[in-house]
Amino acid sequence: MTTPAPASGAGDMSTFNILHGFTEALVRGMRSSFMRDSDYHHMTQCETLDDFRLNMTETDYSESVADVQTLTPSGLQEAALEKLVTEFKYLRMQAVEPLGRFLDFVTYEYMIENIMLLLKGTLSGRDINELIAQCHPLGLFKESTMRSIPTFEPGPRGYDDLYQTVLVDTPVGPYFAQFLQDSAMHGGSRNVLEEVEIEIIKSSLIKYWIEDFAAFCEKLGGDTATVMGDLLKARADTNAINITLNSFGTPLNEPGMRFSDRKRLYPAVGHLYPAGTSMLVDVGDEDELGRVLELFPQYSSIWGVHAAGGSEKSIDDAFYERDVHQLELAFEGQMHFGVFYAYVKLKEQEIRNLVWITECILQGQKDEINKFVPVFSQHAPWRKVGGRR
Amino acid sequence: KSKTAPRTMADATCTSEFCNAGWSEVLTHMSPYGYANFGIAFGLGLSVVGAAWGIWLTGSSLVGAAVKAPRIRSKNLISVIFCEATAIYGVIMAIILANKVKKPDEATYFLDEDWDFPGFYYAGYGMFSAGLSVGLTNIASGVSVGIAGSSCAIADAQDPSLFVKILIVEIFASALGIFGIIVGIIQSNACTFPIAPLE
Repeated sequence: MTTPAPASGAGDMSTFNILHGFTEALVRGMRSSFMRDSDYHHMTQCETLDDFRLNMTETDYSESVADVQTLTPSGLQEAALEKLVTEFKYLRMQAVEPLGRFLDFVTYEYMIENIMLLLKGTLSGRDINELIAQCHPLGLFKESTMRSIPTFEPGPRGYDDLYQTVLVDTPVGPYFAQFLQDSAMHGGSRNVLEEVEIEIIKSSLIKYWIEDFAAFCEKLGGDTATVMGDLLKARADTNAINITLNSFGTPLNEPGMRFSDRKRLYPAVGHLYPAGTSMLVDVGDEDELGRVLELFPQYSSIWGVHAAGGSEKSIDDAFYERDVHQLELAFEGQMHFGVFYAYVKLKEQEIRNLVWITECILQGQKDEINKFVPVFSQHAPWRKVGGRR
Repeated sequence: KSKTAPRTMADATCTSEFCNAGWSEVLTHMSPYGYANFGIAFGLGLSVVGAAWGIWLTGSSLVGAAVKAPRIRSKNLISVIFCEATAIYGVIMAIILANKVKKPDEATYFLDEDWDFPGFYYAGYGMFSAGLSVGLTNIASGVSVGIAGSSCAIADAQDPSLFVKILIVEIFASALGIFGIIVGIIQSNACTFPIAPLE
């Protein structure tokens, strides 16, 4: 699928600020709203959620929690996400092309999640209003489109009809079209909808999104292409490894399916592409996966965490740590678009941290409470504070 | 190939008395008054381009960073003032040069034989190059102060102790404009347009 070229490049050091100086400075101002080490320290010491709420009033979240009567983890997540969405919408309103399109790309991921949620919910027969309330707020699209998804009938031409009538209006329509094209090429559209089918659709859509986004950033050139290229490569590799890992013990892992189906889910960007992904196609169990990942220095340490097993850290934690490290680096240089993507992702990580802490407080599990990855922490393993101060 | 077509560049030169003999003739026959006034225009115009470029680079970042950290508003106007200074250098140079351009005392059709032609041409070329010296250095100075000022505003919003340190970078950047105006003044010092024939 050819990505339409951006209206103009992002601009280099001397011309970036003309169009994007204001929005970039906004995002960098928002960087100061992340929780500091002292904030996390106070919060992990809290005994009850009311103490926690008191601590929150001293951070940037004071307005978000002011309206909440009693704090629950899901309520906190909603309030914090609402704050992020307000900030993101403000940025989007102030953005000029090509930054506008870049920010839209950031939201497409959540749109894909929402569409899959609505589809899945429809198949299980849940109420549409309940589903819409559960949608991720960053990925919302037209209300009428969302409400027409439940009219989709899982029949022989089900997916084609869904695309023609409903999804073609959404910005992620082209990804769906490409999915239909590819599955038609590889032997008929599956009419029978099993549990794994929805996951495969979602993985395929995300794959197309990553490739499209990477091509767009490449066309923007300059620092944006460098920074976003790295971030999206890491993302694509995470997806490839997770798809492989999660396919063990499912029909997708059968030798016949591996080549035809699992291979088509690996994104065409990333450090693992093309040599690594072609090796991953043949992987049948965790030992073989380990052997493949040993060949790639970035992933051998992450795999080591998983192979060591135990309850200390899972492979997801290792991926989160690596992601936070890379996203923090995006803030190191000025005059590129990477900071916008990094801000959204780091804020999400922070929301995950807060929900984890509140869950631990609620369930009284004090020894688990420190297992989160703080953002912009002075004590991060990759940041040597050393002899200063 | 016909025999009448010219075979070398020399054959193709025009031999009529109305044609010029090449670039050297064009450049030396341009009036020194023209040179001087273009020097003034370039000096002022390019300085202002540099200053404006710098101000829009630093101003946009200043406005954006001040949304979350309003305390930086007044302090960071220094960056804008540094950019403005490059425009002022251009204005100073333009005024100095403009005051040196004098027309002859007597209006004549041809200049007298005893006219101070060396001084005349010296003045023209000198003022042109003085204007270019100031203008081009101020573009560079303005842009670099702008980029440094933009980073200064953003860094100050995060950590106030960084402001003075990054300001030192800006001071060095604006020194580039001072070099330009110093050299420009030296170049144009000895330039005086003759207003009467030599005795």
